[in-house]
Amino acid sequence: MGMSAATTAAEGIKFCIFDLRRGQQEGQELDKILFFFPADLPFSAQLSVIGLSEGLITFTRIFSPEAACEVIEAERHSHVFYEAEPDIWMVMVVEKNESEAIWRIDALRKVLKEVHSLFLMFHGSIRTLIEKEPAGGLIRSHLYPFIMDYLSDFLLGKKLQLPSFRDCLKERGTVQMLTVSREAAIEVQSLVRMLESFAGNTQFYSLILFQDLLVSTTLSPVDTINLFTYAVLRLTPRALSSGVSSWSYLRKGSTASNVATGSILAQSASVSEQNFRSRDTSPPGGVNSHHIARPLQPDRWSKGKDGFLVTDIWGAEASGSTLATPTIWLQQTEERVYVCAYQYRSLTLILLVPVASILNGEQGVSVVKQQILENASLKMLKIEEKLSKGWAGENAYHVSGYRYLLVDGDRDVSRASPPGKVTTLTKESLLALSKVREEVDLEKGRMEHDNAGQEKDLEVCIRAKNNAWVIARITKGKELYMVLEKANETVLYASDAVEKFSNRYCNGAFSLD
Amino acid sequence: MSSDSSSTSGGEFTNPNPSPNSTSKPLEDQFASAALTEPDNEPPEIQESPNGVANGSVGENSHGEIESNEREGAVGSNLEARQSVRWRRTNSEVEVEAPSSPSSSGYAGERGSSSGSGSSGGFDMIGGGIGGGDDEEIQEVSNVDSIQDSQASWMPGKRHVDEAKERGQRGIYYGNIVMIEVGVGNRDGEGFQCSTTISDPVMVVVVLVALVVAVTMVTELVDDASLSWRKRKKHFFILSNSGKPIYSRYGDEHKLAGFSATLQAIISFVENGGDRVKLVRAGNHQVVFLVKGPIYLVCISCTEEPYESLRGQLELIYGQMLLILTKSVNRCFEKNPKFDMTPLLGGTDVVFSSLIHSFSWNPATFLHAYTCLPLAYATRQAAGAILQDVADSGVLFAILMCKHKVISLVGAQKASLHPDDMLLLANFVMSSESFRTSESFSPICLPRYNPMAFLYAYVHYLDVDTYLMLLTTSSDAFYHLKDCRIRIEMVLLRSNVLSEVQRSMLDGGMHVEDLPTDPLPRSGTLSPHLGQPRDSHESLREPFVGIGGPAGLWHFMYRSIFLDQYVSSEFSPPINSPRKQKRLYRAYQNLYASMHDKGIGPHKTQFRRDENYVLLCWVTQDFELYAAFDPLADKAVAIKTCNRVCQWVKDVENEIFLLGASPFSW
Repeated sequence: MGMSAATTAAEGIKFCIFDLRRGQQEGQELDKILFFFPADLPFSAQLSVIGLSEGLITFTRIFSPEAACEVIEAERHSHVFYEAEPDIWMVMVVEKNESEAIWRIDALRKVLKEVHSLFLMFHGSIRTLIEKEPAGGLIRSHLYPFIMDYLSDFLLGKKLQLPSFRDCLKERGTVQMLTVSREAAIEVQSLVRMLESFAGNTQFYSLILFQDLLVSTTLSPVDTINLFTYAVLRLTPRALSSGVSSWSYLRKGSTASNVATGSILAQSASVSEQNFRSRDTSPPGGVNSHHIARPLQPDRWSKGKDGFLVTDIWGAEASGSTLATPTIWLQQTEERVYVCAYQYRSLTLILLVPVASILNGEQGVSVVKQQILENASLKMLKIEEKLSKGWAGENAYHVSGYRYLLVDGDRDVSRASPPGKVTTLTKESLLALSKVREEVDLEKGRMEHDNAGQEKDLEVCIRAKNNAWVIARITKGKELYMVLEKANETVLYASDAVEKFSNRYCNGAFSLD
Repeated sequence: MSSDSSSTSGGEFTNPNPSPNSTSKPLEDQFASAALTEPDNEPPEIQESPNGVANGSVGENSHGEIESNEREGAVGSNLEARQSVRWRRTNSEVEVEAPSSPSSSGYAGERGSSSGSGSSGGFDMIGGGIGGGDDEEIQEVSNVDSIQDSQASWMPGKRHVDEAKERGQRGIYYGNIVMIEVGVGNRDGEGFQCSTTISDPVMVVVVLVALVVAVTMVTELVDDASLSWRKRKKHFFILSNSGKPIYSRYGDEHKLAGFSATLQAIISFVENGGDRVKLVRAGNHQVVFLVKGPIYLVCISCTEEPYESLRGQLELIYGQMLLILTKSVNRCFEKNPKFDMTPLLGGTDVVFSSLIHSFSWNPATFLHAYTCLPLAYATRQAAGAILQDVADSGVLFAILMCKHKVISLVGAQKASLHPDDMLLLANFVMSSESFRTSESFSPICLPRYNPMAFLYAYVHYLDVDTYLMLLTTSSDAFYHLKDCRIRIEMVLLRSNVLSEVQRSMLDGGMHVEDLPTDPLPRSGTLSPHLGQPRDSHESLREPFVGIGGPAGLWHFMYRSIFLDQYVSSEFSPPINSPRKQKRLYRAYQNLYASMHDKGIGPHKTQFRRDENYVLLCWVTQDFELYAAFDPLADKAVAIKTCNRVCQWVKDVENEIFLLGASPFSW
């Protein structure tokens, strides 16, 4: 287990998942570990990370029984904690030894939340998989490829690029919406109603995206976020055409580099699979004979001739003739649904068909697909045309003079300046905003812990050393973050700017009167 | 038995890095300290150390020398002086009886009440078990587990009970491991067999977790006192790098040996990974760590103060400790890592608790500036002149203070006094009752001036609140300083300085209600008190009662960068209850931390509005202004008001600041 490329690629980042209910016998501490990255780190070093985490979780519960350890800040590392499921913890350790490695803890925790939510959507809960096979082989063989595939999206060159201060005008775990004209909205509505009519007595769900933006959803908010996230990662036209960078502000650019470096992670994966296998107590081949789908594996989706998106991720059907239709779990209704994705140019339709509602499996799915082709495709064509006409391109939501992020916490929706515009900001401005966001994160956290119920109302307006205005406004569940460079020096100017923005783009949500 | 285990293991314990800070060694010490029930006999050993007073090397004092210094001082002076030299010991007796002492109401005090129940044994047994018989320990732990069931009623909520039970079960197992390891060493008498395993990170992990679990159970299950102890909003701990408790704000530090060992384990565990732990956050709680050589300081708080403030407070606590002992106390740890420092700080609890109290009311603790008692310029000049006289005769610093406010201060030649040192010195003097009763001559150290050396402070109260401090490097200057004091006192009385001080105390400082609406005419004759004719003003202020100053101004603080001084307005309605004052104070702390970010700060301006206040902050090269307004205050008017405040401060700076005689201007 010497030096491998994986260690150099992942320098400074450790990521582990462990179960506090496992490995309580002497000598079996390794049993706790469900996932560890980098996998070729010596076991002693892995255990040391987990030992410290466990120690501090226990220690902090002395004083804070309701909320155990959330973060350890050391001089050279930050350890970010997230209790994904009861007693199942995810811990990410990031190094902060260089000028770019300045993190906002909440942004990192959102990464942990996101990967766990996606895992839930595809594989169900970690606990369930552990209970299915208590030796742990099953959950490990699911987690490892899943998380490695997820992390591959953060690879830039040879380095894992996690969200840093430069991403302070982004909000993970939210949905970005397309602003739709009234006319188009009516068309979309009628399409959605038609899709629902396919269901007969049961209920189908649908999600419609234009480019990387959400147009319509009939899913619950939590399922919408998950599926939207997945769609932007793997299904939208930009995700399909690898090599073209996504302008979605939540996704890292060049997919091209992922291809090159994906192998590094893959190499690491194979090392780890050996590790985990050798650790398994189950008979060899027992677990591994199962096919384990890797829904986040890059470049495995493509558009078929009929417009439906296809993948071999879920393997082929028993007969071997057609590819199996993917299924996911909906968190809200706890039902398993087939995922049918149909794409016409920039428009992606995802129809979710409950598995229980279809008696004859794939055959039934293809009936539904046929219905889409026959009835819905024309409507989609029209809608696509309309939306494309009204679409101003990737800078559509740029507001000149402003660099902003708008988050509607009640609806989990966000909108922000296009990433190309954010990069024009100086490092100082971004650092200052990142700091302010950290302060706001703490305040919000306090509100949650105190359970006060009252809504936070906060306005922070800072003139930084470089003369940029850095602004945060929280009101009625909505958050607005803003950087104004090259602005006048009085506070009044800055608040005027916010006022104007609020009136024009937020229906006056942040206006004072 | 426990000492056996630690001594046999000692040799082989120093595994991975042979530095004194390696995990293994502290771990060994944890066992020792957890198992020891009696105070050990190290202090006498220290007293035997040769004293270096003869050669007069003040900078090289270790503790042994501190004591002998005191003794020598006593020999060389009259009865009065001896009395004062012995203040520390007499003081300690006074404090034990003091009802306000936190230890009397804290963990230790309440703990005694349930000593009859089986659970109280849990603490000692877990500690002892680590060093001793394994069967017993398991029994005790499971015992505790069942007791915990019976006591479940005081636990908040069912879920918590379950968790505790679970942890208890885990604890049985972990306790077991640790014990088996130690037990092997004991029974076979062949040294610590597991010394290699312990150095192995796996074992270290296990030990760390075991300790944490043990302490969890101790603090959770022993009795109700621990519940109230845990619920304290802000804990401060000082411990040695071997895990020995030195100070705890709440509870008896001796009874927190296991807890202390856990803190030590966390710090050294992270240190072993080549890092240094600064902060752990959990819900509303923050655990802040500060390592100063062999001294570890930890704060556990749910007060919503920013990390930077809490860390600054730990720095001040460390400074307060140095003020009493100097940094040469480090050498005691070099000689003997298990050195017990608590006797050295005996009786100083009240000094620390008063300092900690000041963290929630005294802006000097985070502004790093001092404040002056408002006085007419001439009055302050008169006080400064006589202080200057004595400074020329070999006094290093002459400081005249009224409570925590400076009347005047003078430093010899190039000597400069850091505001933090003044804060710590004033706290030390004001919190020690003995200084009030007689003139005193006491060794003190100014950590920012020279952390290694003792100075000698001659302290004398001129009236109830006003005291004179004369600092010197010479340990036999008592008579000289006494003479100086007599001279100073005479001059102060003759020039009415003391009565002016009394008057100023009654009048108070700047009131936001007095903020002039128009720019003030610059003729000094018009302004007997801070630019406002005092008596005619009382009626003017009437309509403002309950709403603060103009434009919703509630309070402000102005810090002059060059002078190292700040002025803060008096609290007036609606900031009139201690709770509201504390909340405003905390808001200022947050604002200060937000403005002075280490990486990118300081920012220039900040406007902040929440449900409690509108806060405005303005940082320039010359000054910093912090102002609090009604949350509904109009932004534009508030800004104008801030400008007026700055103007007002400049208009009366002769009276509110110590000008010209700044220690840094020499």
